[in-house]
Amino acid sequence: MAYVHITILFTAALLIIIGLYSAIFIDNIIKKIIGISFIEEGVNLFIVALGYAPDGVVPIIMPGMDPAWFAANAAYPLPFGLVLTSIVIGASTLAVMLALVMVLYRRYGTLSTKVMLADTSKQEEYNE
Amino acid sequence: MKLYDQIFNVVKQFRKLFSPGPVTNADVSGSITAEIFLIVSLVLSAILLRHVSVLLAGLVALILAVVLISNIPLIPKFKIEQEDSLEKMLFYAVVTLCIIAVFLYWGGNLV
Amino acid sequence: MNELIPLMVIVPLMAGLLISAFSKFNKATKIFAFVVAICLPIIPLASNYGLHYFGGYEPIMDNVTNVMFHPAITYSFTFLQQIFIGMIGILTFLVVFIYLTKYKEVSGPYLFLLFLGTAAVTAMLLTDDIFHMFVFFEILALAQVGIVAASSIDYSYEMALKYMILGSIGSPIMLLGIGFLLALTGSVNVTDIAYAVHNGLVNITSPVFLLSLGLIFFGWLYASGLPPFHTIKSGIYSKAEPHGAALLQSFTVISMISIVLIMFRIYSVLPIFEVLVVFFSILAMILGVSLALTQTDFRRMIGFLAVGELGFIGLGIGLGTPYAITAGLFQALNEIIITALLFIGFGAIVNATNEVDTRKLGGLLAYHPKVSIMLLIGGLAMAGVPPLSGFQSKLMLVQASLSCGYPEISILAIMVSIATFVVFVKTFYTMFLRPKPNDLEVEGKDVPRAMVFAMGILLIIIVLLGIFPDIVIKGISTFVGGIL
Repeated sequence: MAYVHITILFTAALLIIIGLYSAIFIDNIIKKIIGISFIEEGVNLFIVALGYAPDGVVPIIMPGMDPAWFAANAAYPLPFGLVLTSIVIGASTLAVMLALVMVLYRRYGTLSTKVMLADTSKQEEYNE
Repeated sequence: MKLYDQIFNVVKQFRKLFSPGPVTNADVSGSITAEIFLIVSLVLSAILLRHVSVLLAGLVALILAVVLISNIPLIPKFKIEQEDSLEKMLFYAVVTLCIIAVFLYWGGNLV
Repeated sequence: MNELIPLMVIVPLMAGLLISAFSKFNKATKIFAFVVAICLPIIPLASNYGLHYFGGYEPIMDNVTNVMFHPAITYSFTFLQQIFIGMIGILTFLVVFIYLTKYKEVSGPYLFLLFLGTAAVTAMLLTDDIFHMFVFFEILALAQVGIVAASSIDYSYEMALKYMILGSIGSPIMLLGIGFLLALTGSVNVTDIAYAVHNGLVNITSPVFLLSLGLIFFGWLYASGLPPFHTIKSGIYSKAEPHGAALLQSFTVISMISIVLIMFRIYSVLPIFEVLVVFFSILAMILGVSLALTQTDFRRMIGFLAVGELGFIGLGIGLGTPYAITAGLFQALNEIIITALLFIGFGAIVNATNEVDTRKLGGLLAYHPKVSIMLLIGGLAMAGVPPLSGFQSKLMLVQASLSCGYPEISILAIMVSIATFVVFVKTFYTMFLRPKPNDLEVEGKDVPRAMVFAMGILLIIIVLLGIFPDIVIKGISTFVGGIL
């Protein structure tokens, strides 16, 4: 069963690398945001994978279970709790980002990062 | 006279830095201060390498001093690299992340 | 009365929610926000030092290994937390007060964002749980973005979106580092992790441990706005309303010190940690101040100076001796107050003239003498002129680096102070002293009273801390002795 674990970790690493790649190289802001949210998903996947126990059981202790056997075989529940919080935060961040993109798209009429998020310090410094 | 001419040219090139709008003498003197401050502080922080090796520190400080002084004006170049566009910010952020990760993974135990 | 410890977070959080929900009752909202803002500095001053375990789960002693485990999210409240939360409370009160007097019709969501940010930094300071800190760090980032986007300054949406995109790289990377620590130790409690690291339960030379340092360190760079994030940090300061910017920079300083203290407790066994912190601090000082010298927009200039001053804090932490850390934390406290004063003061000038370009300003000393004198004193305090508070902390830092055997860092710190001084002399001259340009209209516009009042209060604190630094230094050094 070890290859399951390896596959999950490999996928997480791949997602993070795709995210970093798209952060630099993709121009369309929506695609860029999708790519960047891959980083977050990859990290979440990695943390979920930490709690994985090969041939494990659900971490709920039932009446009649031997505590020593349970401790040795149950999955580690803490990462699941953490990831749940992290997903909620990630969703809200994503929503705020896309809302800002909507406002900016109405103003500029384009989704290109080079136009929308270019250097603005020169224009505003000396406007007559 | 040569150095004087060079510095005079530097002051002329500062005009581009404040391009739309006038250039006041306070801004130019500020930029010259920044120029000198940048050279001196970078060379000074290169001397910190003496805790690794004295020879390396001397060499790096000398080379840095020569390179920086022969490349004045530095501030326009510095400012272009640190402008507000997302492209540059993201590029430097990801490059820094990669340098930190690589440096720590393979060289974290060397210090 | 340890029940007051969670209230420091809950009161601003609940108040923000209530204000946001009932913002259509304008008058009631104003009164309620004012009352809550007064309560914020009082709660930490009235509370006793101690620990608070959420859910009441006390630490468990393992009978086999004699190790304490902390199953609950723990808040620890000591003198350091008290002084910083108190200061944030005072600052929030002043900012909310300025906001309430400035507008007849207050916006509930904006007040919600201000209170949310305060609650988030308070939780980050109090918590002893690294994931809990991460959660509030993300909430803080959202609040910061909201405060920037709510301002009516040109290009504020663009800057907010840039900050958010950079943040959505920075924070997951930090979470990945926390995940590595979780994988190594099986815990997210900082005390437990630090115990495992310092007692040989974790192999500190393993690449995983080193990489977790690198990843959390990158998140810290984003949180504190050290290079490569110094441009975006100074950008969001210049795009927020002046009172909002005063609060934003204090959020940055607090999140910087709360994360770096947690990192220090875990990673101080690695010598490379201190090297990294010192390296990026020096870089921030050099880049921040040299870019501040070339700015013509004075809000941006203060933004870069604020970033440059953060380098001093990092320097104190990076040197790693108790005296240096005390100096760094004292510098952090001073910087919160001084930079807030500067942002509010320059914001008052923007308010009076509608102009942010130093090239178009001049001769304002005759029109706004009170503001200009207070700004001058604030600038001198930031540059480290005795007997103001910036002098005390910078002197401590110089002494600390000398006694650590790094005279270069001392010289560099003094040079950065001098360059800061140059920035102020230059800006003060161009804005207040030189003859007024003909096309500048200043007549008939007055500086809001609330801003002058806020600046006065901050100025009193600056002078008090400059003359009697011992009231803070003693408590901070006791705290530092506890974590080393």
